[in-house]
Amino acid sequence: MPDAPLIAFFPEASFGAALNCVGIARELQSRGARPVFICHPGFTGIFADYGFQEYHLPSTGPAQPADYWQAFIRRHLPHFNLSPIDQIETYVAPTWEAIVDTAIAAEAPLAALLARLRPDLIVLDNVVMFPAIARAACPWVRIISCAETELADETVPPYLSGLASDDRTGRAAFLQRYLKATAPAQDRYNRFRQSAGLAPLAPGQFLEPSPDLNLLLAPSVLRHDRATPLDPDQFTFLEGCVRHEGPYELPDFPRNEGPLIYVSFGSLGALDMGLMERMMATFATIPARFLVNAGALREAYRSVPDNVHLEGWYPQPSVVAMADLFIHHGGNNSFCEALYHGVPSLILPYCWDGHDNATRAEETGTGRRLNRADWTAASLSAAIRGLLSDDAMRARLKANARQMKAAPGVETAATLILKTAGAGSKALAPADHQRMARHEG
Amino acid sequence: MPSTTPKTSARSPRASHLELARQILDHVRARGLGPGAHLPEQALATACNVSRTPVRAALNLLVTEGLVTHTGDAGYRLAPAFSTASALSNTLPQTSDRDLTARILRDRAGRRLDETVTVGELMRRYSAARSAVTQALGKLAEDGLVTRAPGQSWLFSPLPDDPESQADSYDFRLILEPAALAPGFRFDPDRAAALRRAMIGFLAEPDHRLDPRAFQSLDSEFHGLIARGAANRFLGEALLGHLRLRDLPGTSTRLNVVRLRQAMQEHLGILDQMEAGRFDIAADLLRVHLRLSRSQRPQAANRGAPPLFGLTFRAGGPDA
Repeated sequence: MPDAPLIAFFPEASFGAALNCVGIARELQSRGARPVFICHPGFTGIFADYGFQEYHLPSTGPAQPADYWQAFIRRHLPHFNLSPIDQIETYVAPTWEAIVDTAIAAEAPLAALLARLRPDLIVLDNVVMFPAIARAACPWVRIISCAETELADETVPPYLSGLASDDRTGRAAFLQRYLKATAPAQDRYNRFRQSAGLAPLAPGQFLEPSPDLNLLLAPSVLRHDRATPLDPDQFTFLEGCVRHEGPYELPDFPRNEGPLIYVSFGSLGALDMGLMERMMATFATIPARFLVNAGALREAYRSVPDNVHLEGWYPQPSVVAMADLFIHHGGNNSFCEALYHGVPSLILPYCWDGHDNATRAEETGTGRRLNRADWTAASLSAAIRGLLSDDAMRARLKANARQMKAAPGVETAATLILKTAGAGSKALAPADHQRMARHEG
Repeated sequence: MPSTTPKTSARSPRASHLELARQILDHVRARGLGPGAHLPEQALATACNVSRTPVRAALNLLVTEGLVTHTGDAGYRLAPAFSTASALSNTLPQTSDRDLTARILRDRAGRRLDETVTVGELMRRYSAARSAVTQALGKLAEDGLVTRAPGQSWLFSPLPDDPESQADSYDFRLILEPAALAPGFRFDPDRAAALRRAMIGFLAEPDHRLDPRAFQSLDSEFHGLIARGAANRFLGEALLGHLRLRDLPGTSTRLNVVRLRQAMQEHLGILDQMEAGRFDIAADLLRVHLRLSRSQRPQAANRGAPPLFGLTFRAGGPDA
C-alpha cells in the first residue's frame, strides 16, 4: 500500500508506554496506516512480537557494566520506601539526569533515522523532548501516558508528589524542593535544546506540548478540575488506551477457591522479591486465588502458597478483565486497564506517578492506597477484604467501565492521529467520525 | 466478597480407555472425517486391534467429552461441533496416575515444591500412597525431570519452561529439527492434510477466542510431524522425546495473539514446502521460524535505565 501513512512511534523504554502505543498502533494498522516503532537502545523485541517493524537506535557511550541492574536495585529499593517528597533527591533527580543523558545520546542517530524514514507523523510517548522530532518535517503527537499531573496546572497536584488535590501547603514545599533538585539536569537539558535550535523550557519542564495534537491517558473518572482548561483543539483526553490480548486460561490452583486477584508491580517492581515474598505470606491467609506477576525472577521463588500462581508474563488486559481485584504499583497503564474493566485497584506505589495515581484512586473512590513502607499483614489483608466486599465501589466501577468502553481510547487516538497526519479522510469509517464528534462535543 | 469458585473435575477414567479414545481420534483425523461421520464399532475395533467392548467404552468417553454423539438408531457419530482442531486439543481428561505426576510438575513449576523433595513429603502433600508417589517420580525420572539424591530425596532438574531451559531448547531444536527434513524424510500426507485444516481453523478464530492451549497442541502436532518423518531413527526419537517435555503440565505458551498467528502462518508456509516436496526450503523456513519464536524481549525496563536481559541474581543483593 504505497500511500499508507507512515506513523513512527517512539515510546520511552518502559512497558507501560510501549504497550499503550501497541494498542494505538494496532488500531492504526487496521485502518490501513503503516505504524513502525523507533526503539531506545536495547528496548527491542516487544514491538516485533506484535508484528511491527522496529528501528533500533544504536547504543552510544561506554557499555553498561554487567552488574548495572544489581546496583540499580540495591541502590534504589530503600528509596522506594521513602515518601514522594523524600524521593526527589534520591530517585527523581538522578532519574532525570539519566533521561537527559538518553535524550542527548539519541539525538544524532534519531535525526538520521527520521531523515531516512520520512514518516508522515511521529508519535512521542515519553517524558522528554527530542529536538530531532521537532525538526522533522512532519507533525508530531505527544502522548501523555503518565498520570494527568504530568501537565502542570495551579489546581492539579504537582507531578510525582502524590499530594491530595487540596493540599496547598504540601504543594509549595514539594515544588520548592523539586525545582531545586532537578535544576542541574534541567539546566543541562536546556543547554542541549538551545544547541539543537529549540527554545529552553520553564524550570521543572522537560517536554513541551505538541503544537499539533496531545493525547492524555486520563479517564473522565480521574480527571482534575483545571484552573486553566486545556485547549480542546490541541489536547484530547482518552478513556485509557487498553489493547486487546488473547484469552487467558486460568491455571489449576491446589487451593482453588474464592475470588481472583491479579498482582503486578510492573517489570521494575517485580525485582523487589522481598516485598513480593512478604505479600505472598499474607495472601496464603486469604480465601482467594492470586495470579502474581513475578517477572524475571519467577524461578527464584520458593514455598509459594497453594492459592498463588506465579508467571513471568501475563496477557495483562485479559487477566484484569477476569479479576475481582488488581493489586498494582499505580502505573498509569495498569490503572487504566483496571478502570476499563471495572476492577478496583489496591495501589502500593513505589515511585514516579504511581504516587499520584494512588492518591487519585482514594480521592475518586476507584481504589485504595497502601503504603509500601509500613503495611502489615493485618492492614494488607483488611485492605483486600475491604475492597472485595465494597459492593458500592464495584457498582460504580462497572458503570464507569461501560462509559469507557463506549469511547475506546485506542479508536479515538487512531482517528485523531490519522486526521493530524492528513490521511484521515481516506481511512476513517463513518462510525469513527460520529464517535469523534461525540467525544469532541 | 464475590464468589467465583471454579468447578473442579475429579474424573479419572481408566488409562486403557483413554489411550484407546486417543487412538480413535487419530483414526478420525487420519481419514479426515468431519461432523456427523459414522464411527462403526467393529471397524474401529479392527483398526485398533481390540474387541468391541473397550471400543464402546472409549467411544462413551468421547461422548462424555462432547466429541461424539450416540443414538440407538444411528450408533456413534462425530458430534456436530466436532472439528479436527478439537480432536487435536488436549480435551481428554487425565488418568489418576498421570494426574499425580501432573500435580507434582504443576507444583514444581509454580515453585510450591522446592528443588529437593522426599517421598514422605510428597505422600503427605498429595495424600497419596508410597507406591503411587514412587511410580510418579519414576515417570518423571524417565523424562530426566528428577534424579535420585542421597537418602530418600529426589532432585528436580530445570523444568522445560525455565528461561534457561527454553534457550537451550531452541538451540537444540535449531541443530536437530531442520536435519530431520534431510533426504529420506518420510512425509505423512494424511496427517499433514488434517493438520492444515486444523491450523486454518485456528487462524479463523477471532483474537478473543485464540486459545494458547490450542496453539500449543497444534504446535506440538506440527513439530511432531517433522520428527516422526525423520529418516534417522535416533534423530526422530530425540526430537519426539524433547517434544514430550514441552507438552508437560506446568508449561505454558507466553505469546501474544499476534505472535500466535504469525507462528501458525509460518507453520503453514513450511507445510506448503513440505507438501510440494521442497524439503530443503522447508528446512530453511523452519530455521527462520525457530529463530523468530525465541523471545528477544527485555525482562525489565525503566525510564532512564538500559533494558535488562537475563537475570541471574536475587534482587536486593546478598542481604535480601
